[in-house]
Amino acid sequence: MERGEFAIIGTGEVPCGNYPQRSEFEIAYTVAREAIRDAGIDVKDIGAVLCAQHIMSNPDNDYNTEMVFGRLPEAIGARGCKITCMTSSGGASSFSLRKTAEGILHSGETDTVLVVHAQRFSTFTPNQQAKYFSVAGSDVEWEVPYGMTYNALAAMITQAYMNITGTTIEQVAAVCVANRRWAMLQPNAMFNHKEITVEKVVNARMVSYPLTTLMCNVLGDGGSAFIMTTAEKARKVCDKPVYVLGEASDYSHRTITRAGMKDFATMSEYLFPIAKTAFERSGLGPEDMDIYQIYGSYPCIQLIIMDALGMWEPGTTGALVEAGETSPGGKYPVTTNGEALSFGHTGTGVGIALLVESVRQLQGKAGKAQVQGARFLIENTGGGAFMDCHFTVLGNEIPG
Amino acid sequence: MSKHEPISIDAIKAMMNLSDEDLKKPLPVPTAWSQPFWDAAREHRLVLKRCSKCGNIDHPPYLYCTACQADEHEWIEASGKGTLFAYAINYFGVPFPFWADLPYALGMIDLAEGVRMISNIVDCDFEELENGMELEVVFDDVTDEVTLPKWRPVRK
Repeated sequence: MERGEFAIIGTGEVPCGNYPQRSEFEIAYTVAREAIRDAGIDVKDIGAVLCAQHIMSNPDNDYNTEMVFGRLPEAIGARGCKITCMTSSGGASSFSLRKTAEGILHSGETDTVLVVHAQRFSTFTPNQQAKYFSVAGSDVEWEVPYGMTYNALAAMITQAYMNITGTTIEQVAAVCVANRRWAMLQPNAMFNHKEITVEKVVNARMVSYPLTTLMCNVLGDGGSAFIMTTAEKARKVCDKPVYVLGEASDYSHRTITRAGMKDFATMSEYLFPIAKTAFERSGLGPEDMDIYQIYGSYPCIQLIIMDALGMWEPGTTGALVEAGETSPGGKYPVTTNGEALSFGHTGTGVGIALLVESVRQLQGKAGKAQVQGARFLIENTGGGAFMDCHFTVLGNEIPG
Repeated sequence: MSKHEPISIDAIKAMMNLSDEDLKKPLPVPTAWSQPFWDAAREHRLVLKRCSKCGNIDHPPYLYCTACQADEHEWIEASGKGTLFAYAINYFGVPFPFWADLPYALGMIDLAEGVRMISNIVDCDFEELENGMELEVVFDDVTDEVTLPKWRPVRK
């Protein structure tokens, strides 16, 4: 990829939360139209339509089958569509979808790609949700029979990180507080009505020691979409395209016990070269970023990823968050939509929502959450049991 | 560590309208390449798959060696000794078959042979759990057919 070869020119999003009456199809059609209108293009310009995989689809009207079989271009009237497919890498789907879009654009088959995510969890019973999602990060043969859960996995990483770095549980809780403060500024966030305090987070019901309920994400119904084009087309149709300036990836494992990084306190050492490569490819450094869009799903993972940016001394980011530096009005805006913890966990859509928020910020369309004058940011995504990591530097200009 | 009252399994069963089937614990379903591990566990032996070509130990095991892709392998007897790398204690929000066991401890165990496992830490007070502590394997016959290797602190 050439630096700035591709750009995102428009986004769409629906509110995240419990909306059992709103089908995943309705979400997909709604966010698609919103993204097309926001981009200011004609629906007939779209040459490729990509969908994120839906989790726990309804077997009587399976969203995944319908989307794989081309429902979306037909339903939204994308009559110029040549290519449609579904892509997924769990929580890393924002990246795999974008990479697929970049490949299609690079091939020259079309210059406009629509990417859509839609998810509805609320029609499933708590038992179905617990059975599926609480164990999705765990190995079905080697971990699930022991009562292993996603929360316990994050709890172990948190426990090890705190033990080795001296980070306190109050500092971990401060990440949840900062995320909530940002979500309070987001009209589509699941939890945007009530502020939380460190005390409240620490004293909430214990889920998996040392994590309380407010340190664990909550599943919500939601969806978002974006339009990606070549930079050449972007400049013709859009006042403020958001360019992909640099990106880098690595994969580690499926089963957490086989992770390359054995010591989670120094997991940032594994992540650091990925971020460094993304920065190098963008021609920018961590200090040039106006926003850090960190996706960790759990508070401690956000700290570990912040540790990896080369911006702050690893192990000290908890204190930075506790001091309010990453909250609205702070020196280092981090995760401006509130992420899985406060925006809501929409399955494969958390990273897509954060990417969409990144584009809004760089287009000056982020409303109350707008970071004034934001030009560059770094965002990350990853999936599974922290199986991979992808960093991307985005900007509303291509630096000289 | 938890200030909140636990919710009984009967209360959860009624609240969530659960059947007995919903409360059946998931058991490992061995693959062709993991069967020897579970067969040995039934005999209260802990074994690991070692490549005969390059000596790499794979756990979990796969169809062939993940270091050199060779088929040739042997199952070696593990020492049953390990150290606790990290732990978590589940109090709430677990799949319903595990509700009656709450609270229970999970750990990442670094085996003397250099591989890592996730398992339960049993026969201990949660307060004594400490990163780096020495552990030894114990075998829990959860059904007539299935035995799960678990770990407990070494008593001096």
